Amino acid sequence: MAPRSSLRLKIVTSETTTHTHCPYCAFQCGVVMTDRADHAGVIDVRPDDDFPVNRGQMCIKGFTSAALLDHPERLTVPKIRGRAGRLLPARWDTALDFVAERLLRLRELHGPAALAAFGSGALTNEKTYLLGKFARLALQSPNVDYNGRYCMSSAAAGQNKAFGIDRGLPFPVSDIAHTKALLLWGANCAETLPPIMQWIFAQRDNGGALIVVDPRRTDTARAAALHLQPTPGSDLALANGLLYLALEEKLIDTAYIAARTDGFDDLRRAVLSYHPAHVERLTGVSTQDQLKAVRLLAEAPSSMLLSGRGPEQQSKGADTVLSFINLMLALGKVGKPYSGYGCLTGQGNGQGGREHGQKADQLPGYRHIEDAEHRAAIARVWGIDPAELPAKGKSAYELLDALGPEGGIRALLVFGSNVAVASPNALNVERRLASLDLLVVCDAFVNETARDAHVLLPVAQFAEEEGTMTNLEGRVILRQKVRPAPPEVKTDIEIFCELARRLGAGRHFQYTSAEQVFDELRRATAGARADYSGITYDKIRRNRGVFWPCPSVEHPGTPRLFAERFHHPNGRARFHAVHHRPAAELPDDAYPFYFTTGRYKEHYNSGAQTRRVSKLEEAKPEPKVEVHPRLAARLGVVEGDSLLVESRRGAVTFRVAVVPSIRPDTLFAPFHWGGRKAANVLTVPALDPTSRMPEFKVCAVRARRVSESN
Amino acid sequence: MRRKDLVIVGNGNAACRLLDELMSRGARDRYDITVFGEERGGAYNRVLLSKVLAGEAPDSIVTKPPAWYERNGVRLVSGTSVARIDTASRAVVAADGARQRYDVAVLATGSQPLVPPLEGMTTSEGDLRPGVFVYRTMDDCVRMRGCARAGDNAIVVGGGLLGLEAAKVLSDMGLHVTVIHVAKSLMNAQLDQMGGDMLEQHIERCGIFVRTGRTVEAICGEEAVEGCRLDDGSVLPADMVVLACGVRPRVDVARASNLPINKGIVVNDTMATQVPGIYAIGECAEHRGRLYGIVTPIWEQAAVLADVLTGANPQARYRGTKLYTRLKVAGVDVTSMGSTEPELESDDVLQVVETRKSTYRKLILRDGRLLGAQFVGNTAAAATLVQLFDRNDPLPADPLEALCPGGGAGPAAQAERVVCTCHKVSEATLREAIEGGACSLEAACAATKAGTGCGSCRGEVAQLVARHAPSPEVAGGRAVAVG
Repeated sequence: MAPRSSLRLKIVTSETTTHTHCPYCAFQCGVVMTDRADHAGVIDVRPDDDFPVNRGQMCIKGFTSAALLDHPERLTVPKIRGRAGRLLPARWDTALDFVAERLLRLRELHGPAALAAFGSGALTNEKTYLLGKFARLALQSPNVDYNGRYCMSSAAAGQNKAFGIDRGLPFPVSDIAHTKALLLWGANCAETLPPIMQWIFAQRDNGGALIVVDPRRTDTARAAALHLQPTPGSDLALANGLLYLALEEKLIDTAYIAARTDGFDDLRRAVLSYHPAHVERLTGVSTQDQLKAVRLLAEAPSSMLLSGRGPEQQSKGADTVLSFINLMLALGKVGKPYSGYGCLTGQGNGQGGREHGQKADQLPGYRHIEDAEHRAAIARVWGIDPAELPAKGKSAYELLDALGPEGGIRALLVFGSNVAVASPNALNVERRLASLDLLVVCDAFVNETARDAHVLLPVAQFAEEEGTMTNLEGRVILRQKVRPAPPEVKTDIEIFCELARRLGAGRHFQYTSAEQVFDELRRATAGARADYSGITYDKIRRNRGVFWPCPSVEHPGTPRLFAERFHHPNGRARFHAVHHRPAAELPDDAYPFYFTTGRYKEHYNSGAQTRRVSKLEEAKPEPKVEVHPRLAARLGVVEGDSLLVESRRGAVTFRVAVVPSIRPDTLFAPFHWGGRKAANVLTVPALDPTSRMPEFKVCAVRARRVSESN
Repeated sequence: MRRKDLVIVGNGNAACRLLDELMSRGARDRYDITVFGEERGGAYNRVLLSKVLAGEAPDSIVTKPPAWYERNGVRLVSGTSVARIDTASRAVVAADGARQRYDVAVLATGSQPLVPPLEGMTTSEGDLRPGVFVYRTMDDCVRMRGCARAGDNAIVVGGGLLGLEAAKVLSDMGLHVTVIHVAKSLMNAQLDQMGGDMLEQHIERCGIFVRTGRTVEAICGEEAVEGCRLDDGSVLPADMVVLACGVRPRVDVARASNLPINKGIVVNDTMATQVPGIYAIGECAEHRGRLYGIVTPIWEQAAVLADVLTGANPQARYRGTKLYTRLKVAGVDVTSMGSTEPELESDDVLQVVETRKSTYRKLILRDGRLLGAQFVGNTAAAATLVQLFDRNDPLPADPLEALCPGGGAGPAAQAERVVCTCHKVSEATLREAIEGGACSLEAACAATKAGTGCGSCRGEVAQLVARHAPSPEVAGGRAVAVG
């Protein structure tokens, strides 16, 4: 790690500047951080003008990210819950011994499956890789999963089925500027990925058309030439309806379908029942608008469909993604210049996080844990017998729902995830967490999940360690160390090594640097779907990131996929006949409104970090529920009133924002807050049968005005 | 555990959708499934028959070719009618006497065309004479297409949804088409008199002649069809006659099996008949006194029945579907939902008539909610309204707003809206700066700090500059720079 400033001739005595990346979302803006030589001052964070993804832009979260480093609430020493129930500072050895002893005892009493680990899309590739290895070799448990299950799993499942590979975007983000028709489906990137808007505005300036599909007229939708505002949970029906019209209007590319795909005939027949009149009724989108959208997509020389969490976070999310891919394949766009399907990944390392083995069903390199060859390959790298690798474990929500004596999981280690806020049916998750025999939370702050923890272990933050991330384009980038962590803080990698040693698996965890872990990850992914074997730290530094797959050191990486072939053995993409089905819970007489969740620009995920940054907190101090003026009149509320929103699982009181931008049958609230403000108290834990994604985006609620004192 | 035998009688839209719903719930683990289809081949989508009449290959509307059944382990017995269900010995009995045991039987026998008893309509054997057609099956369409030649005269008896669809296709093929309709106006089940009249103008503009308030009394001609005699005594020459006088549920199998029948086969909220083990869905089923002939209720019924039969959700119930009809033949858009006329003194009616465009929009309101609606020629608002109708949600205080989709998002408090969230700059602040002379993107950003954080609002700032910058004369003759 060489600070960039040392390469310059500028005489700097009291400062160092380092090129690294923002700690938050999957855009991973390049940033330039300036630190005082004695690390005592506030660090300046500026967007990196030269990084080709954000090109000198950054959102307010990035600008304020340094506030996390010297934050007064930061956890700086390990803590153990004492007899009186209070968390007391402890020495590292004491804390780690305590954790290891309990883990060993619980494993002896209840078997290895009683131990579980929960990871995060915020962890670097190195940590992701080690967490999976730690769970399987040190805990010897099948139960490891991560919050990416709540984020990317539906898009991942869909892409794997259709293309045989899952990379969020199959092209660099800069390609967006050149596409002639861009459809953003359930993606409010003006708030969730603000710096991406420069590419979308560039697209418009280049004469391209923007279409947005969203139940809300978001800031992103306002920028669009055409906005379709479907009923929550009807996205699949709409996509199939568009394909029906494409067939009727003879807009499909039969030559492409014949040359590059399999399974179109089944799909064509399945789509025959999506007559526009029926689709209108399911979606509320008029035939005229359906036609406009599909004509724009089909007739433009290049077109893209990019999806966000709206259609994906549904109990049919994976099928919905398949319906998008079906459409773009049938129009002959996938793999052509500036064209195709992509998913806008959410979490910082949402992409890498799903590739390297912290998922219940996966091994590093996007290998499958139930595939004998894949098991053998990893066992070879890890120096074990394949039989020692546990089988597939429980997916995220199922894992959390199995915590405690009833479910059988007695100990949980959480790394970088605030599951108490981020999970559906949050009250249930809270109860489950409280029933554990051992809850260990490794984090930089005491978040909602840590409330019932037995042990807290303080870890280094983004600017205090190095490691790779894989951004939404599939570009592997390097976070550099800007300054040392506080003295009593360890990195997750150190914690894995220390705990593994105490659990008797020390020989598998002999690392002194992140780069060492990465070198093992390279070997483990060689020949796999997500092949990182040709990527080195040095190569990333030189090239401002390297796109996977990159199978050899000489290989330049792969910015664009699918131009020649897809990744199924026969090189062809596969259509999948998918059908609309209703959301798990729909409005009825008792709970008459749709409820859907989303984000604010100022906050990130569960808000565990951003709610502590004063500038962000001031800008958006609380979640507000969005209510259409007509519904507001019906409920008898005005702007600023308090509205009690209830689902079958719980109730939350929100302050009201009356906005005409939402459908009159739908309420919206952001999910960044915990406790009594947690939107996820309301959401339904129905899971997608393939991806196990919870249905965050649709449930049924009722609402009534309450006075302030309530 | 032994797999049970599930037999589906009928292979139309309802059976097809039921099969999909059963498969997605893993029904093959519980059931051996047999489907009896009267027509040869797999299932097709009857709603799309006009495509075949218009000349597309029959396969283009086939939803499940025979290979689908094979691949999914479903036994298809096609080209075979079912005579009755022997409920005592639990066997489905085919017309040829073959028996198929069942544990669960589902009747999805659909509808059959109503054929009025016209003089000269049938041969001595009782079949429709050559040149006379009903419009119901794939075979009907293939035969009709084989008969229709440009320049011929065709008479369509019935001015409902199917009749108009057939008339349009025949007219597009170059035939001289006349629609004879017994009621005073077209589509009288779905439209009021004014709506029907407007529709007639559209239909006649397509080149089709319409005679309303008339019936056909006889079909004339020695061998071939030569014409129709109407009730006013006039005779219209015709080379072909298409009967589209409505449908009635097919209940012959149910009747022969002694199932309770009213207008259709009577079912409860789980789609079960009174006889244990026998269910009915689709157009043949009568639920709470109502029969359905459109897609949405069939989907809902199929999902409920699949939930119940597979145990995926034994509590699933079908509660009925509201009426919603859509006619879409090229150039003519018609939508209708619910009642066509007010029913109570207190019901309110809102009508918008555009005489030159022949468009008609009508809302019937009760307590601020939609009791019915009709659209002829302009259906843009139908998609929004049908959802309000389905859920019985209130309309805007001024129901005219409901006819303007997208008009809901008014400019209320627009000026207070924050454009730049990084620096909290409102639209009003920006506008003031722009009108005060900051009339380029750069100047506006510099003056207000908007767009200097993440930059994501710069496009919007540029739009505001374009909208609010003083005109070139005022700004000293310089063009306004827009970023």
